[in-house]
Amino acid sequence: MVPTNYYVILSAILFGLGVFAFIFKRNIITIFMSIELMLNAVNLAFVAFSQALSTARFLCCS
Amino acid sequence: MTAPLVVFFVLAALAVIGAVSLILQKHPIHSALSLIVVMVALAGLYLLLGAEFVAAVQIIVYGGAIMVLFVFVIMLLNAGVEERTSISKLAGAPGLLLVVALAGFVAATIAKSAESVHAAPQTGELASTLGISNMIFKDFVYPFELTSFLILVAVLGATVLAQREKS
Repeated sequence: MVPTNYYVILSAILFGLGVFAFIFKRNIITIFMSIELMLNAVNLAFVAFSQALSTARFLCCS
Repeated sequence: MTAPLVVFFVLAALAVIGAVSLILQKHPIHSALSLIVVMVALAGLYLLLGAEFVAAVQIIVYGGAIMVLFVFVIMLLNAGVEERTSISKLAGAPGLLLVVALAGFVAATIAKSAESVHAAPQTGELASTLGISNMIFKDFVYPFELTSFLILVAVLGATVLAQREKS
């Protein structure tokens, strides 16, 4: 098992790189790509927390 | 070091290298190709987390659809190498400060909550297709339909904006 903290730290690193690219890139398409990078970093955190909190009871109700 | 940990570190290094490459590349198409590396590495991480459906959607939607969209937009706009003006000190210093402040805030939050989040045993039902479809089509069916309405509004807005551009 990989600790959840590792995923969260990786997510933070990717988000930070996305913010960096968002601020420093000049091309509008590349800025859009950096926004996608930030979205994916947050998605990774969501999936990691979902596994950590063991949301099976929320996911598969009734 | 166990096998999942090795796989995690390989995929994480791949993702970070892809993101750094996205920043360093000058041409937008190279940045797009770097972004594909990040997407595929993240899909592998989702598989490692036991979320197969999310991994498949990540490959299909991000690795396929959105990257094709990027490549088409780059081709249509004929985007070239980004011009390198001498970077403005006034813009660079607050930006770097903002990045450092954000990284410090995130690191402090993670360090504070390091004990509160524990890894749980894999359940198998987590993020399965059955669970997700139950959520979408039973519990959250109205927000789901509202989302499709939102996409319709976005399509209409894009059409209106494109029309105005032409005339």
